[in-house]
Amino acid sequence: MARVRTTGNPPVVVAIVLAVVAAGAAGWGGWSRYDAAHDDSAAYAQARDDVLAAGEQAVQNMNTLDHARLDKGLDRWEDSTTGDLHAQLVDGRDAFVKQIRAARTVSTAEVLSGAVTELDDRAGRAGVMVALRVTVTAPEGEPAVKESRMLGQLTRTSQGWKLSALGQAPVGNTAG
Amino acid sequence: MSTTRHLVNRRRRLAAVAAPAAPRGTAAPGTEPAVDAAADPAPATATDTPLPQDEAADGRVAAADEPPGPPRRRLPRPHVRLPVALGAATVLLGAFAAWAFTSAATLREDPARQNTALTDVGRTSEVKGGITEAVAAVFSYDYASPEKSDRAARTYLTGKAVRQHEDMLAEVRAQAPKQKLVLTTTVTGAGVELLDGDRARLLVFADQSNTRTGTQEETTYAAAMFAVDAVHRDGGWRISAIDTFTR
Repeated sequence: MARVRTTGNPPVVVAIVLAVVAAGAAGWGGWSRYDAAHDDSAAYAQARDDVLAAGEQAVQNMNTLDHARLDKGLDRWEDSTTGDLHAQLVDGRDAFVKQIRAARTVSTAEVLSGAVTELDDRAGRAGVMVALRVTVTAPEGEPAVKESRMLGQLTRTSQGWKLSALGQAPVGNTAG
Repeated sequence: MSTTRHLVNRRRRLAAVAAPAAPRGTAAPGTEPAVDAAADPAPATATDTPLPQDEAADGRVAAADEPPGPPRRRLPRPHVRLPVALGAATVLLGAFAAWAFTSAATLREDPARQNTALTDVGRTSEVKGGITEAVAAVFSYDYASPEKSDRAARTYLTGKAVRQHEDMLAEVRAQAPKQKLVLTTTVTGAGVELLDGDRARLLVFADQSNTRTGTQEETTYAAAMFAVDAVHRDGGWRISAIDTFTR
């Protein structure tokens, strides 16, 4: 009968103790995992990083255009934007195509650095600043390199964060 | 029908309770087959036996009504299987605990969480304000009071930035007295890229106005953008490196 009794049966007692310890560890671990996964500031940090990645990519896209692959480039512009900016791009597309075809320029952009300046996670709005180096190559002459201080506003859409406004930081009137 | 069904079920439950009592009472079986042997003869002697065994017999009959399944030997199993079940539970729970702790640690070590830019609102605002002030102070220069700029450099710069700043302002310092030069830097935008404890990196957009009053008054504006590494030391944020993105 010793086998069916739990008391005075070392293997069963040991097994029970181990199971209880394991249950305790599992409970603690589960709580720890839950706590780590439901940290509000972690979700916000993730949103911040998503905004920066989307913002830098969109700003780069908006400064990249090859006259030989114009449709692809302009489609990417439209994919990177939403709202008013998107509407402007769609409206102005035909005129712009003519301009670039005539100028035959190739623009490439390199993101030097970027930061999120504001983020309203609930409203789905964010602001980014991006330091950009743009190289414009015309059919003749040396490529022109210029550095741009870009300020962008992003809006969250069902397809992720997209640019809703983009411009260069103004110069001159604020200093002095 | 429902009454009959209820009865059958009840008897089955009673049988489950009664049967283990039988082997205990009659013999000391060490193994399962012995238990079965004790249970099996029950129906044979059921006609004039006390109630519990009778019900046990009925339970078996009722079970026979149901579609054929595995033989009903569940009764002794919990005892025999207890250590096995405990062992399995221990392994499963232990595996879950190991996964949970590992996963929690991975989540917490995520670089996105180490960076508290924007998530720590107070600290973000503090470093932004401190660096905005520092940049304006160290990149402004007045030919009339050069010691002010030196003092700013001592206050706000540390490490590599000291030398970088000297190099950047060397030309201004050389020409300032002759041209009566006043350089004023205003930060127009600053964003915290990284904030991790006492270290930070910020992207800075600044405007610089350069006023020369030597021969004729003339002001030029320049746009600047650069990144700074900052450290928090002695109660304030200092610039430890300046990255002007030169190639």
